[in-house]
Amino acid sequence: MPIRVRLDRILLDKRMSLTELADRVGVTIANLSILKTGKARAIRFSTLDALCRELDCQPGDLLGFDGGPPVDFGDEDEDEGID
Amino acid sequence: MRALGPGSVSSFLKVILDVVYVALAISIVLIAIGMIVTLLFDVDPALFSNMIRAGAPGGALTGPEIAGELLVGGLYAGGVLAIVGQLRRLFATLTAGDPFHPANVRRLRTIGLLLAALGVLEMVRYPLTLLDAKLATHRDLTPNVTTWFAVLVVFVLAEVFREGARLRHDAELTI
Repeated sequence: MPIRVRLDRILLDKRMSLTELADRVGVTIANLSILKTGKARAIRFSTLDALCRELDCQPGDLLGFDGGPPVDFGDEDEDEGID
Repeated sequence: MRALGPGSVSSFLKVILDVVYVALAISIVLIAIGMIVTLLFDVDPALFSNMIRAGAPGGALTGPEIAGELLVGGLYAGGVLAIVGQLRRLFATLTAGDPFHPANVRRLRTIGLLLAALGVLEMVRYPLTLLDAKLATHRDLTPNVTTWFAVLVVFVLAEVFREGARLRHDAELTI
């Protein structure tokens, strides 16, 4: 995805673990992991606000644009789950 | 009264669907037994008096013809059973409070296809029942408007649920 989330780099700089950040921000570790690995579809401004506040950084430090073709989210797998 | 979740209208309807499913399954077994009996043994057509059409040029039905009627009835019941089975699974997700489960899109499309198949069966039932020779002038190939309207509605609903599943997925991945 062209939008890069540099959460792991910032956590390393701040010497903070994902678990500690999750506790401070009020987001689950699973969701933060989704964000960190670039699988998130969107981020709420409230979450971005909490992350920047706890990591003492700007949104531009956290998010970057790498260019490249736009992501086609398309149709998801319709057979998820157990029938 | 809530529409979704445990103890809601959906859970009540799910219970009804479960009962209907079991009743249909039993009916199909009985129909299959009836078919075997009419094919293997000489059956007095008077036992199936409601199947003897007044004014039928050929008179009373024979065993194979009764079996043919039972076959069509069994196919129809099988189609309805499959539809009810899909509805049971769909209503299970409604009872769980998750209406836009991705699998519901496929279930609705399957229901639409089954309804279409029943519509076709309805149109060709007379040749299938071997009554063709006796009722040669009666060919009901006119489509049932209600059935085909329902098919279209179900397919549109499937697309509505597909959009809902997409929005649900987006919401899950919104941090």
